[in-house]
Amino acid sequence: MQTGLNALFAAAYLSLVAVGLVLIFGVMGVINFAHGELFMLGAYVVVALYTNLQMPFVLVVAIGLIFVGLVGILMEFTMFHPLRDNPLGGLVASIGFLMVIQASITIGFGVRMEHVPPVTQDVIILSEKVRLPVQRLFVILSAFVCLTALWLFLKKTKFGWALRASAQDPEAAMLQGISTRTVSIIAMFIGAALAGVAGSVTAPVISVSPVIGHSVIVSAFIVIIVGGIGSLEGAVLASVTYAFIHTVITTFIDGVIADIVGLSLMLLVLIIKPTGMFGTQDRV
Amino acid sequence: MLLELKDLIVSYGPVQVLRNISMQVRKAQVVTIIGANGAGKSTTLRSISGLVNLKSGSIHFDGQRINDLPANKIVSMGISHVPEGRRIFPDMTVEENLRTGAFLRKDKTEVEKNLKDIFNQFPILRNRRSKNAKTLSGGEQQMLAIGRALMAKPKMLLMDEPSMGLAPVIVDEIRKIIEQIRENGVTILLVEQNAELALNLANYAYVLENGQIVLEGPAEELHDNEQVKAAYLGI
Ligand SMILES: Nc1ncnc2c1ncn2[C@@H]1O[C@H](COP(=O)(O)OP(=O)(O)OP(=O)(O)O)[C@@H](O)[C@H]1O
Ligand SMILES: [Mg+2]
Repeated sequence: MQTGLNALFAAAYLSLVAVGLVLIFGVMGVINFAHGELFMLGAYVVVALYTNLQMPFVLVVAIGLIFVGLVGILMEFTMFHPLRDNPLGGLVASIGFLMVIQASITIGFGVRMEHVPPVTQDVIILSEKVRLPVQRLFVILSAFVCLTALWLFLKKTKFGWALRASAQDPEAAMLQGISTRTVSIIAMFIGAALAGVAGSVTAPVISVSPVIGHSVIVSAFIVIIVGGIGSLEGAVLASVTYAFIHTVITTFIDGVIADIVGLSLMLLVLIIKPTGMFGTQDRV
Repeated sequence: MLLELKDLIVSYGPVQVLRNISMQVRKAQVVTIIGANGAGKSTTLRSISGLVNLKSGSIHFDGQRINDLPANKIVSMGISHVPEGRRIFPDMTVEENLRTGAFLRKDKTEVEKNLKDIFNQFPILRNRRSKNAKTLSGGEQQMLAIGRALMAKPKMLLMDEPSMGLAPVIVDEIRKIIEQIRENGVTILLVEQNAELALNLANYAYVLENGQIVLEGPAEELHDNEQVKAAYLGI
């Protein structure tokens, strides 16, 4: 039960990262290698504004969301748009960007682990053995709120439909009057902002350092490959489901085993069904 | 003249696929382009929609030059394109597909009315409105693609091989649909390999070979033309 709660917590922020990654990949066809660094940036927004400047935590999380979202738009303008006909080029550029962010953060904050003081020490005692720190509950709730909001956006709003349509058939979407550029910018903002929120809300619970992006990105990659890229909503569901399974294995058995299981699943999926376990359709 | 193409040249890399195409489409007419595989029919439609860039030449719609506008602007001017192979959004529902066609429209109540009209015209789509589009049959998908284009309330419809891969009964239904669209005053530029169907529907026709117009004229005349009979009507 306690481990289940821990798994839920880890799945919460991992799925935020993975869903953002999958959204960007689905709409723009580029793999954003710097996505883990967007998570890291979100955490450093907390270090800078909450730890150092002592601004209210919730406000800082909101700033983390918007700031990292804007970094996403910056990436679209400087890399993914100029390289739009060259997905491999976009990937390589994002690796360069990853290094730039890491270096800048290292220069600004040093390589030391930053300890972010917890916002609250409160613990909800569910039973004698099961305790849920409020700080972790906050991560779970944030993920729930963000993912629900994303779901409603994709299902109920005009621009959500535009994103889904573009992910399924960019050219057919253009023929409906949808601007692929606008859609790309929206996808980059949302995708990056989700990673930023994840980094911000988890910062007080983890040790923040310039390299924390790596640990989440590997899991996130497994999540999206296994989850597949059929439809955006399918990918969102798959990411959340798999993130949960992955963290359950990690917490109940072992992280290495979870990665092995994930990678084997990934291989299996790539061999049997290259569009992903839940994927339904080949990209045109 | 509603649509006017002048001396279009389009190439993919070093290969010229359209060589000096000029065409005119009058308001409220059906004009057809027939031709063999690879003649450049789709490319012609795609250059009108802004999906491919011209090397030279010009396209005017409603008196305005449109060949340097992005695809979404061209849609907003009143040109809708039913692409080759239907290209519906497979993982969106039938209704979502249709509403996506109205993406640029602001007149919400009119959109609702339009949707009703389309459901009346295609009752099958109403029955399947909350099913994913990929579950539809080929003919139903074609109707969905047409309905989606109509949801933009276009002045002009570009249709790329709407009869492709469909059973004769369904082709007949598509024919009726096109007739009805014409009766509603929408101008149509129809690309077809099914020359019989196209020449029966159209007022005027162009024959495309290797990126060039080799023949043009009123559709009945072309229908009786020996050359056309031999090459495209299989008579
Ligand atoms: N994206 C592309 N890149 C390179 N060549 C292309 C591309 N699209 C089409 N072509 C070539 O351009 C020529 C014209 O193609 P187009 O699709 O316009 O023909 P079509 O008349 O529509 O044929 P079909 O009846 O098969 O649909 C063909 O030789 C085709 O191989
Ligand atoms: Mg074609």
